[in-house]
Amino acid sequence: MVKRSLSQIAGPSALLAMLGLILSPVPATAHLVTTGMGPVYDGIGHFLLTPEDLVPVLALALYAGLRGTLPGRRILFLLPPAWFAGGAAGLAVDLAPGQLLPAVSFLVIGALVAADLRLPVAVLSALAILLGLIHGFCNGAALKAGSGMLGLLGIAIMLFVLVASVSAFVISLKREWTRIAVRVAGSWICASGLLMLGWMTKGQV
Amino acid sequence: MTRILPILFALLWFGLSCTGAAAHESQPGSMELRQLSRDRYEITWRAPIYFGRSHPARLEVPDRWQDVMPPTERMLPDSQVFRRVMSVGEAGVEGSLIRFPGLERTITDVFIRLHRLDGTIMTAVARPSKPYAQLRGERSWHVTARDYLGLGFHHILQGVDHLLFVLGLLLIVKGRMLLVRTVTAFTVAHSITLALATLGVANAPLPPLNAAIALSILFLGPEIVRSWRGETSLTIRYPWIVAFLFGLLHGFGFASGLSTTGMPKAEIPLSLLFFNVGVELGQLVFVFTAIALVRSFRILEVRWPRWVEAVPGYAVGSLGAFWAIQRTVILIGGMIL
Amino acid sequence: MRDENTRDRIYVVMAATLLLWGSPALAHIEGGQAAGFLTGLGHPWSGFDHVLAMIAVGLWGAQLGNPANWLLPVTFPMVMSLGALLGLLGIPLPGVEIGIACSAILLGAMVLGELRPRLIAAALLVGFFAIFHGHAHGTELPPGQSGLLYSMGFVIATGILHGLGIALGLIQRWPGGQLVLRGAGAVIAVAGMTFLWRALW
Repeated sequence: MVKRSLSQIAGPSALLAMLGLILSPVPATAHLVTTGMGPVYDGIGHFLLTPEDLVPVLALALYAGLRGTLPGRRILFLLPPAWFAGGAAGLAVDLAPGQLLPAVSFLVIGALVAADLRLPVAVLSALAILLGLIHGFCNGAALKAGSGMLGLLGIAIMLFVLVASVSAFVISLKREWTRIAVRVAGSWICASGLLMLGWMTKGQV
Repeated sequence: MTRILPILFALLWFGLSCTGAAAHESQPGSMELRQLSRDRYEITWRAPIYFGRSHPARLEVPDRWQDVMPPTERMLPDSQVFRRVMSVGEAGVEGSLIRFPGLERTITDVFIRLHRLDGTIMTAVARPSKPYAQLRGERSWHVTARDYLGLGFHHILQGVDHLLFVLGLLLIVKGRMLLVRTVTAFTVAHSITLALATLGVANAPLPPLNAAIALSILFLGPEIVRSWRGETSLTIRYPWIVAFLFGLLHGFGFASGLSTTGMPKAEIPLSLLFFNVGVELGQLVFVFTAIALVRSFRILEVRWPRWVEAVPGYAVGSLGAFWAIQRTVILIGGMIL
Repeated sequence: MRDENTRDRIYVVMAATLLLWGSPALAHIEGGQAAGFLTGLGHPWSGFDHVLAMIAVGLWGAQLGNPANWLLPVTFPMVMSLGALLGLLGIPLPGVEIGIACSAILLGAMVLGELRPRLIAAALLVGFFAIFHGHAHGTELPPGQSGLLYSMGFVIATGILHGLGIALGLIQRWPGGQLVLRGAGAVIAVAGMTFLWRALW
């Protein structure tokens, strides 16, 4: 019972909150990358050099790894397609995503990792889809002027490789302190998000 | 390596090859400035044919440079050659910026070479990410090294056919030692022919070479199927022999990406070395990514449907077949014409 | 020239990320904005009082052993950024300098006395002082720098300081190490007193 109601509430309310986030007008920090190796690699380069996107994905993969193989598989097969779908939609809009979305992503997912919270797999899946759709959407808007659809394809492939490797890596950690090191990393990500939020309230970012 | 190699790579390389982004055949451009007298330079700009059309990039020289005779233009099978003789004025060429507007939308690199009357030479590379070059004195060796390292890295990651061959080998090889031996054999072999071709000792004409490379990939297709069925063959028992023999072919292919025409003799060994290092780095990135993925799938207990497991193998076989036919047609077409 | 740098970074980052999956810190580089990361990374080292208190947290954690050894480093950065958030929201915290000095004294004393309060008490103590540290150090973002990268650098440097403390704490495994550790606690406590002196007068 509890499980179901939790997953039922978490989805829509988080969606609303996130929607509010991305629609908030904040100056853009979009930066496109040219690798000279074609649009697919451009997309990969853009993703790897954008911590706003990269770190939440790493954090989610760490979290899935802490939770085990089933959550790892769920994220592996849900996040890249969701990201791609969100990105495809984002290609159609003019949007300057701000810093609020990454700050909240850092905060929420970092806290999940730090607390090693036992979320039901359904909630975790919903979170992966949400993260993919929203970050992907902003990503798509950023890539509109650059590598476009093929860039998104590159990003989706990179996501797949990253999530598979990182979550498998965490699962393979057996000793207690190594798992704690992962949680410490999560606490750092969460703390960074919190600092970001603080600066945003002061309008410094 | 087991059969479960990622569908992903097949997809990636499919995607690349379908969009033409992976034009392995696309050659680098070159621009040569040869000093004729104190303020006169002969400028030769060779723009490669880009996907069957004139190259979108233009050559833009500083405004103060004046043509002293009408520019000429020549169409070659693989490139367009523009020649001009210009007076650069009192200031000389030092510090001048040569631009290539339009290059940023392509995947072409342009090698720039300046021959001065005193025998000194300067080289530079313009790239899509940096579509300009500044003419100045001698470059330090590490700038050259970095340039060629990047070039080699580019070349392998864009060379879908080479990567597909490596993927095919990975699909056949079982066991870590055998893998190390196979990859080493491939590396040694292609380094040998890359060096021979670059130093001008041996040479392979491009059309038959490309067809042969395609055949090497096609060759691996049936071997992969054989290894699935648990059968054995010479290739499956000694994959490093195959890797070595075909590696010799692929080395000639790599050499096509390292155009050395007119490159100063002294610079060839260094650029060759670092180009090769770049190629190996790119290859290692590919191999390690593939291995990491397979390992991750095992840890995550991903169970692929049978047809997905078969995709990488069939991708190697069918793309190999496709290229073999396509390139043979080009080869025959070239011979008839 | 920026593009060339970006491109070089791509090579570095691509290779590094592919080879060292587990090391996200390497990927925090971004064209033209890496300065923010480095500034953030450098900031926590600028205040000696801050550095000593952080190391003391690590030393104490090492003395307490599991689970405090990991609970403290997990709590500290989060509570510290909470303190920074308070500061940024304009909520005043009286006597920040005094608080930091006191944290060095108290934590040093804990290490000196090898005191073992209950885990929750230890976490609360560290957390309480973390608020002061965050309030004092986490509220200034250099203008024009990426807030996200600065934050990450800041937090990672804090973590490194803890790690340093924990690593130093490992000497207690050797004979006489415990004594050395307690001596270090004494040094930190004394240093804290001088900080307090300076803060008060």
